[in-house]
Formats: sequence, C-alpha cells, structure tokens
Amino acid sequence: MSAPEHAMSISERITQGISIKTVFTLHIFNLSIPISDTVVSTWIVMAVLILASYLLTRRFRETPKKPQLLLEAFIGFINDFVKENAGHHGKDFAAFLGTIFIFLIAANLAPMLTPIGGFGFEPAFVIKPLTRDINVTAAFAITVIVTVFFAGLIYKRPLGWLKSLVQPSPIMLPFNLLEYAIKPLSLCLRLFGNILGAYIIMQLIEAVAPVIFPPVAGLYFDLFDGLIQAVVFAFLSTIYIAEAIE
Amino acid sequence: MDVQSAALIGAGVAVLTGLGAGFGIGLATGKTSEAIARQPEASGKIQGAFLLGIALAEATAIYGLVVALLLIFK
Repeated sequence: MSAPEHAMSISERITQGISIKTVFTLHIFNLSIPISDTVVSTWIVMAVLILASYLLTRRFRETPKKPQLLLEAFIGFINDFVKENAGHHGKDFAAFLGTIFIFLIAANLAPMLTPIGGFGFEPAFVIKPLTRDINVTAAFAITVIVTVFFAGLIYKRPLGWLKSLVQPSPIMLPFNLLEYAIKPLSLCLRLFGNILGAYIIMQLIEAVAPVIFPPVAGLYFDLFDGLIQAVVFAFLSTIYIAEAIE
Repeated sequence: MDVQSAALIGAGVAVLTGLGAGFGIGLATGKTSEAIARQPEASGKIQGAFLLGIALAEATAIYGLVVALLLIFK
C-alpha cells in the first residue's frame, strides 16, 4: 500500500481489496512461480493449524484437562455430524470433512485477528479472507468432487457406480453426468461469492463510516457469515458423499 | 450509451437476483421455525434440511453477484 487510506476513493479501495497481489516469485528449475498473498496467508493458517494440532494432541491423559476436553467435544461434534448425515459408512470421511471444516473456519476467521491500519500505522502484512480468492474455493470444490467420485467407485464397486448413473431411468444419464460439473461449480462459487460479497460490504462500511460501525457489522459479515459458510460447505460436501456411497 | 456504462447498469440489474434469494430464505426460515415449534424433538433433522435449502436458495444471489463482478471487471 503506497497511498494512505483516506486518499483513496471507494472504488479504488474495493479494487485494491479484491485484487490478489503477487508477493514474490519463486524460481525453481527455470520455472518462475508467482506466489500470491493468498498462498502466503494459506501457509500462515496452515502453520498455525499444524502447530495447534501438535500442541493440543501432544499430552493426552485419562482424566482430561480443559483443552483436551474442548478438543474432544469438538471432534465428537464433527464425528456425530458426519455420522448423522452420511450414514454408517460416512464415518470413514469424518477426518476429511472435519479437516475441510476446520480449515475453512480458520480461513474465514483469520482476517479478524490481523491488525488493521489507520492513524498513520500500516501493518506489514494483512491477512485478507483466503476464500475471497476463487482459486482456494475451486481447489476445495475439486478435492470434494474427486473424493465423491472415488467414494462412489469404491463403495458401490465400478459396476454399481455405472448403474447409479442411469438411475432412476436411462434418460437421466446426461443429468447425472452433469452433476459432476455442477456440484463443484456451485460449491466453489457459493463460498467465493459469499465471502467476497461480505468482504466488499465491509470495505464499503470502513470507507464510509470508519469509526463505530465496522466492528458491529463485522460481527455479522465476518464472524457469522464466515462460520455459516464453513458449515454450509462442509454440510453440502457431506451430503454429496452420502449420496455417492449410499 | 457506451459499453462501459451499459455494463455497469447490467451489473446493477444482476444484483436484483438478491430478491429471489431473500424471499426464499425468509420463507424457509419461517417454515423451519414453524416445524421446530410443532416438533421440537426433530429439530436436528429440520435444521439439516433448512441448511441445505438456504444454501441452494442463496446460490441464485451468488450467481447474480458473480455476473455483476464479471460485468464490472471484465
């Protein structure tokens, strides 16, 4: 950020907010790979999550203390959630869906923890919501649909999977095939659109009324919307997997 | 009218998709409250169906947003 914040017009502010900057370029074997700020933020979130899971699971005891109790309750919640919605075999996917859920919560809520500029102070690095980058949500959607595809193939056996394509009647074949394209597209766009929309609205509020309103509106647009969208993404992934393995 | 201003008007029109999503989510929430009031013990299943429903209803508004963004930053 070169210009001070108050000198920017609203549209400049928003354009700057939703543009994804290249932080540095990695040179490996004559390849130059641009590393965007989303990737750097993802690394930070990943590092925090890995460190947290190491520290939290390091010393498990028979009589749990508070962190272990909270962790057990949270993991139990995820397991119950998946078992309830994806049926008996669903528990094989609890770890996968739980990972997506935890990462999305962290990705949507991480920007609330970074300092914001103002009064001549500019933070060195600001974490913006990771899911405002369509590449992140597309990666998650592709991961989910690949899992759905192979889960169907493994749990129904290849023949059963082929049969499921022509259920309930052979006319449905093109639609059943189309689902494999529509499901990831809608998963990806829903998360991206929601987070980006909330982010743009927050930028607008911060530009128009920078004093009292942003924290209040942020409770809804950052905290509530981020949590709800993480839940919705995990829930829809669970439903798709449940459909595939039934 | 040049292409740029037409695109901006189009972006504004695209955001009207929010109407349908708001209506749909409102309807779904109302019915969910009714259903939970009638059968509180089934609230888990009702909430599941509700989440799925609002996620699908909301998709139209999101497509509107995406179209608007495409029109502005084409």
